[in-house]
Amino acid sequence: MKAVWQLWLQLWKRMPVLVVLAILMWLGGLVIIAMNFREEERPVYLGAGLCAFASWFWHIGQGQVLRSLCRPESFLLPDFRRWLAWTAAIDVLQWVILPSLLAALFVPSHVCLIAAALLLVAALGLATGCGRRVGLLIWVVFIAAGWMPQVVAQVVEVALNSPWTAPLLVLAATLLLRVTLLPLLRIDDLEVEPSPLESTSLGRTNTTNIDGTPQPRGALGKRVAGLFDYFAQRAMELALQRYRRHPTAAQKLTLVRRLLLPHDNPQAIALRLLLVAGMVAIYFFAVMHRQHFNAAVVGAYAILLTMTRFPQLGRGMLRMRPNLADLYLTLAPDTRAQYQKVMVDALLILVPVSVLTALAYTLLGSVLAHAAEPGRMLLTAAIVATSASLVALAVHLIGPQGSFGRAAVNLVLTFGSMAVYWGGYWLIGAIGYAAGGMTLAVVTISFGGGVWYAAQREYQRRAPCFDAPLA
Amino acid sequence: MSMSADLPITLVEPVHLPAAPTGPVLRVEALRKSFGKRVVLQSVDWNVPAGRVIGLLGRNGAGKTTLLRCLLGLSPIDGGRVEVLGEPMTEPGGERMHRIGFVPQTFDLFPWMKVRAYLDFTAAFYTRWDHTLTARLLESWQLDPKQKIGQLSQGQRQKLAIVRAIAPQPDLLVLDEPVASLDPQARRAFMTELLSLMRQPGKTVIFSTHITADLERAGADIALLRDGRIQFMRPLAELRESFVRAVFSRPGGWPHTPEVAGLLKASASDTEMHMLLEDADLGALHTLASELGASLRIETPSLEDLFVELA
Repeated sequence: MKAVWQLWLQLWKRMPVLVVLAILMWLGGLVIIAMNFREEERPVYLGAGLCAFASWFWHIGQGQVLRSLCRPESFLLPDFRRWLAWTAAIDVLQWVILPSLLAALFVPSHVCLIAAALLLVAALGLATGCGRRVGLLIWVVFIAAGWMPQVVAQVVEVALNSPWTAPLLVLAATLLLRVTLLPLLRIDDLEVEPSPLESTSLGRTNTTNIDGTPQPRGALGKRVAGLFDYFAQRAMELALQRYRRHPTAAQKLTLVRRLLLPHDNPQAIALRLLLVAGMVAIYFFAVMHRQHFNAAVVGAYAILLTMTRFPQLGRGMLRMRPNLADLYLTLAPDTRAQYQKVMVDALLILVPVSVLTALAYTLLGSVLAHAAEPGRMLLTAAIVATSASLVALAVHLIGPQGSFGRAAVNLVLTFGSMAVYWGGYWLIGAIGYAAGGMTLAVVTISFGGGVWYAAQREYQRRAPCFDAPLA
Repeated sequence: MSMSADLPITLVEPVHLPAAPTGPVLRVEALRKSFGKRVVLQSVDWNVPAGRVIGLLGRNGAGKTTLLRCLLGLSPIDGGRVEVLGEPMTEPGGERMHRIGFVPQTFDLFPWMKVRAYLDFTAAFYTRWDHTLTARLLESWQLDPKQKIGQLSQGQRQKLAIVRAIAPQPDLLVLDEPVASLDPQARRAFMTELLSLMRQPGKTVIFSTHITADLERAGADIALLRDGRIQFMRPLAELRESFVRAVFSRPGGWPHTPEVAGLLKASASDTEMHMLLEDADLGALHTLASELGASLRIETPSLEDLFVELA
């Protein structure tokens, strides 16, 4: 059982904060159920709910750990799958059976339902942690609860009294677990990424596992990635042809951009916008029916989506360092600063791309959500996206290289720019488009421009680094 | 007048060595593997008896890594059959995994773990883990148990991967370019450990490498992978006896390449013609030299020369 202990320990070692919080919530849930002296049903559901919430968090972490543990080489460990199954059994005992047994003391009639629901929540958490999109289904519950609370309450009432609910929940959990775990326990040949600075995922977020290996894609994902690669190849060939005809500095810069950011060509950007439009349309269709829905939130989400591009850039810049030595030798710059300037100029294209993306998302969202003041949203989004992307690019050029530092910077940048969006939206509403827009632009863009100017100067002052980053 | 001729190489039929008394450790039949449309392994037939050290040679991109990964079930195969330690290997699993050690070409697993934690984690799965050997190797190879794997250099990671593969005392040790990132000192230490492991009866080692000196030191059998097939597997001494290089010298050049039995490759310069021959009849070569009016020098090619010529 030493192997089970070691497997169980991995989550504690990787994510101690999450584990402590989840365990505290779980204990809180158990205590609430156990201290139910009046033997009422409500505290039992409250306690079970707290356990479910903790379980969801715990299993998101567990999924991420599993994803990095289940590498082909790990299956060479004797009985790896068997010990994983034992660990899973202990997990089920802790997160499903124990709370259910405790709940059975007070609400024996609903114990199967509670156990099934806890199992489903654990499966959803695991699916999310393992990067399966099916894990996002849990948001359907949240959206439905906000959209039609009365209907949801009625459905819950009926479900509580139906003998079919528990088996159906168990069936759903089993299917989810199957979809989540089977690919992890199967040995596949790994795919490679086109560039560490890029990802073809819709939010431009990271598509690699936490150990750096690319996640396997589904059939549709492969087709979309193939299309992106086709566009990248075509854009590179065009850039090469143009450079051969007119070997100017501008054409050379375009070539460097095509190499560093293969999916930031017009066709690929258009395809991404189209794909995101489809996904976002479904989401807004649901959200806009919620009570007290403020359509201006669309702009904040657009900024959030836009800013997800930059963490990928930060990670990619580090991972790509050893390969950039080739680019350095090919460009053969007169000075190191000249090479650094080429890099800075090449990456600057991300600012207009980000602004365009934010505007497109905001426009789409404002139309779908029937926003009262789309102009105000678009103006705010354009200004905030400009300044935020300048700051983000600057920070990722010269910012911290450690994972903790980068994560902290990303959080501040993402939520900071969303907060600035809300502040700017309010300002434009309060003092008008011209004055508000001007004030916002002067304050934020001058800030962003200043940070960018200082950062790119500092970057050019630094010597290029081609060492592989430490983990 | 000068002439340079590269004659087509006569492919040597795969040699199926008779099984050792304990039976073959590895039996591969018609193994095929492709990545998309690119065929890497066409039809690999390979038997490895127990108690041998096998050096797998092949050019870059010949498919050595793919072959080793297919043998261990780490890469799904497209066709054929692989048997490891007497059982079909469709994917890794079962009790026999206690008896298999593997060193991958690049060790990039679990960068967040510390060396000690990683070894503890791995040791927990094995019944025959040698803790004394682990401690000794960590000390002699100067691996800091408190350091994170991600912060180790490539050579240090390779050392760790070797420790991890040797410590369970495997019966079959598979190593994919195990010494590529090691300094000469560590390489020698590794070879010493490997040879001491091999002194125990029934242990088999398969390792791919480009450093032919290591194969010579280990006295390994040589298996050559080319064109998606194992072209031959022979003991090193037999290989050396089988191949000779005949150097004919005369002024005036070489208008054509004479026909010689066992000729694998020929190249000519202004005054010399080099022939690589397999199972050559030395008497016939001397007769040929007289007929051509040339002097003859017979050389035994080094393993590296053979690799260059045959791979």
